[in-house]
Amino acid sequence: MKITQQSTENTLTLSLDGELDASSSVVLDTELNKAEILDNQKVLIDCRRLNYISSAGLGVFISHLQRFQDAGVKLVFFNMQEKVHNVFEILGLDSLMTIVPSEAEATAI
Amino acid sequence: MSFARKLNSLLLPFSILSWLGLLACALLYAHPTLFGQAVALPGWLLLLLQAIFTTAVFLQERVVSDRLRGLDFIGLLRRLVLGPGLLATACVGLHLLQQLIRQNLANTSSLAFTAIYTVNVGLFVVLLARTTYVWRSLVLFRSSARLRKLWNWFEVLLGVTLLLRLFTWSPPFGLGTALLGVLAAFGAYISSHQKWVAYLSRRQKLEAVLLQLAVILSMAVFVFYFLHTSQGPQLLAPGTQHDFLILNAFSASFFAIMGLLVTFFNLPTAGVFEQKREEILSLQRLTQLIQRGQNAEEVYRMFFDSAIQTVEADAAWLELDSTEDEYVGQHYHIAPEQALAIRHLLTDYNLGHIEYLNNDLPNSSGFRNLELPFGSLIVMPLRSSKRQYGSLYMLKSSTQGFDRENQSILQTFASQTVLSIENLQLVQASLDTQRVQDELKIASAVQDSLIPKNLPIDNWFEISSHALAATEVGGDFYDFLHLPGRRLAVLIGDVSGKGVTAAFHVAQMKGIFHALMQENPLARNEREKFPVPSKFMAQANNALARCLEKAAFITASLYIIDYEHGGFVFARAGHCHTLYYHSIKEEVSYFRTAGLGLGIIRHDGYEKYIKNQFYDYNPGDVMVIYTDGIVEARGADQEEYGEERLQQMLERTYYLDADQIKEQILADLNEFSRGQPMHDDQTLLVIKFKASQPEPSL
Repeated sequence: MKITQQSTENTLTLSLDGELDASSSVVLDTELNKAEILDNQKVLIDCRRLNYISSAGLGVFISHLQRFQDAGVKLVFFNMQEKVHNVFEILGLDSLMTIVPSEAEATAI
Repeated sequence: MSFARKLNSLLLPFSILSWLGLLACALLYAHPTLFGQAVALPGWLLLLLQAIFTTAVFLQERVVSDRLRGLDFIGLLRRLVLGPGLLATACVGLHLLQQLIRQNLANTSSLAFTAIYTVNVGLFVVLLARTTYVWRSLVLFRSSARLRKLWNWFEVLLGVTLLLRLFTWSPPFGLGTALLGVLAAFGAYISSHQKWVAYLSRRQKLEAVLLQLAVILSMAVFVFYFLHTSQGPQLLAPGTQHDFLILNAFSASFFAIMGLLVTFFNLPTAGVFEQKREEILSLQRLTQLIQRGQNAEEVYRMFFDSAIQTVEADAAWLELDSTEDEYVGQHYHIAPEQALAIRHLLTDYNLGHIEYLNNDLPNSSGFRNLELPFGSLIVMPLRSSKRQYGSLYMLKSSTQGFDRENQSILQTFASQTVLSIENLQLVQASLDTQRVQDELKIASAVQDSLIPKNLPIDNWFEISSHALAATEVGGDFYDFLHLPGRRLAVLIGDVSGKGVTAAFHVAQMKGIFHALMQENPLARNEREKFPVPSKFMAQANNALARCLEKAAFITASLYIIDYEHGGFVFARAGHCHTLYYHSIKEEVSYFRTAGLGLGIIRHDGYEKYIKNQFYDYNPGDVMVIYTDGIVEARGADQEEYGEERLQQMLERTYYLDADQIKEQILADLNEFSRGQPMHDDQTLLVIKFKASQPEPSL
C-alpha cells in the first residue's frame, strides 16, 4: 500500500495505491488521525489504484466519518474500481459516503 | 585374552618365588658351608635368578592398567614417592641395622648382611620398575600412536642392554658404547614429551618439582647404598650385579630428571596457563547457565563474578539499561556514587556505552579531579545487534592494568552473556506464546459450542450448513431460533476483524439475537410479538453502539421464515446479498436490497438505512446465504471467487438436495482456491424449500 498526498488550497487529495488490508490500514489511520487534516474543506480519496479493501480498511473510513462530518470536512471518494465499489455498496456505505466517478466531479462538490 | 590374563596373575607369585630363589642362592654363594658341606655355586646362577626376578617385576608393573586417574598427575607422583620414599627409608634402616649387628654380633653379621642386601636388591628392582612405568604413563599422556610404538621399542632396547650388561658380555668394536649412545638419544627424545606439565597449576607444578626431587633422592639413596656395598669389605655378590643395578637406576632417573627440568622451566608460564584455564572454566560456567535456563539476574551475576575473577580487577560495577528486569546491576569494591562520578565523566567525554580502554587514568585531568585510587579502566558494553543491555566497568589500581587478552576475554564473556540473556528471553517468549495458544484453544472450543449443532428439521424445508474459521477463533456466526406459529428465525453475520475481539462480538451478537427474539408480552397484535428484521437490526445496532470499538462493525442478515404461510421476511445489515433460486421463474438471482452494517452509525437514525424484504416462496426454491469469506476467496491469480461464479454454481445445482448443493459449491470453491491461504472465515447455509407438504401424520 502506498499513500501519496497532494494538497491544494482547502483540499487534500490522498491517492491510495495497492491493497488496503489490516496492516496498511494502520498507516492510513495515522494519516487521517492528524489534527491538521480537519483544516481542509475537502478530503478527496483517489481510489484509482486501490485494488482491494478489507473490513479493517473500511473500518478506518467508518471511524473517521463522524469526526469529519462534525468538523464540516467533506470526505469524497472518486475513481473507484468496480469491485471496491461493490464492497462499499454491500455494506451500505454508499448511502453514507460521497462516492463519485471522476476527479472533476469530486472537485466540483 | 583369558590366557594372557591368567599369565599376568601368575607374575606376582613367580616374582616372589624368583626372589626367594635369589635369596637362597645369595646366602649359599656368600656362605658355601651354610648347610654343613660346601656347595660351590656358580656366579651366573645368581645373575640368572636376578635377571628372571627383574623381568618378572617389570612385566608385572607393565601390565598394570593406566595408573593415571583423569588429570591427577600429582596423585600419581605422590603415590610414587610414598612407595619408593618408604622403600628408601626401609633400605637406610636396614643398612643401619646391619651396621649395628656387625658391631655387636660378628658371627652372624655376614649372613644378615647378605639377607639385607638381597632384600634391598628386591626393593630397588620394584622401585625401578614402578618408576619406569609411572613415567610411561606421564610421557604417553595424550600421545600419538607413533610415540607409543617408539616407547615399546625403547623398552626392548633397554631390556637387551641391561641383560647384556648383567652377563658381562660386551659387543665387539665399541658396539656397546654405540648402543648406549643410541639408547640415551632415544630416551632423551621420548622423555621430551611432557604434555602433562601444561595441565598443572602453579602450585601443582611446585609440588611436582618437589615430588620429582624426592624420587631422584630415593634413587640416589639406593645408588649410594649399592656403590658403598660394592666397595665394602664384604662384597658378597658378583660385581656385575651392581653394575646392572646402577645402570638401571640411571636410566630410570633419567626420566625423573627430564620431567623435573621440564616442570621447572615451565614454572614461570604456570600463571598464563592458569589464567587461560580459569577463563575457559568461567566460559564453561556461563555456558552451563544458559542450558540450565536460569534467570537473567543469575546470568548477570555470573558474568560479573567471572569477569572480576578472570581479569583480577580491583573494583568493578555492572550497569544495566533496562528497567524491566528487577536486577539493576551491582558494585564490587566501589561505592555507587564513585561509580556514578566516573560514569558522568565518561558521558561528558562522549564515551558512554562504547568499548573503551584507558590504561593511564592519572593522565586524564578529569579523572585526577575525582581523586580515586585507580590507574586503569576498561568499559565493556553488553550489546547485541538489536539492543544494548548495559555496560561492565572494571578498574585496576595500577596503570597499564589491562592488556589485549583481558579485553578479548571480556568481549567473549559479554557476547556469551548477551547470548544467554537473549536465549532466556526467547524461552520466555515461547512460553508466553504457548500460553496464548492454549487460551486460544479454549476460546475456540467455547466458540465451537456456540455454533448450532442441531439444525432445525421440518418437512417443509432442508437446511445444510458449513462453517470454517481461518484462525483459531473466527468472526463469522449463524444461528437458528424456532418462533411460535411455525416460524423460524435464521441469523448470519460477520464481525469485522479477526481473533479474540471478533470472537467476543460473535458471542455478543448471539446473546442479542436470543434476547431480542423473545415474545413481547405487551404486544397488541400478533405482528408486534416479535421484532421484524429491520426493527431487530435497529435494536441490535443500538445495543452494539456502546460496546463496539470505533473502527469495528458487524454485518448481518436476519430471515424470519413463516412456513405456515409459505413466505419469509428478511433484512440485510451490510451483509452479503442473498442468492435465490426462483422455481416459478426457473431463475437464479440475488436479492439486491439496501442495508447498512451494524455499528457504522451509532445513533437513532440507523433504522432508516435498513429495509425489510418480503417474499412468498414456492416449493423447490433455494436460498443460499453466506459470508464474504466465500465470495472473496482468492484463486491462483489473486482473482476473487465472486458473486457471479456462486450464482452459476446454483444455476447448475438448484435441483439437488440442500446438502448436495452445499457440497458442490464447496467443491468448486476449493478447486478455485486450491493452494491459496485462507484469508477469512467461510460460512455457507443452503435452505431448500420442499416441493410438497406431507399430510400431518396425526
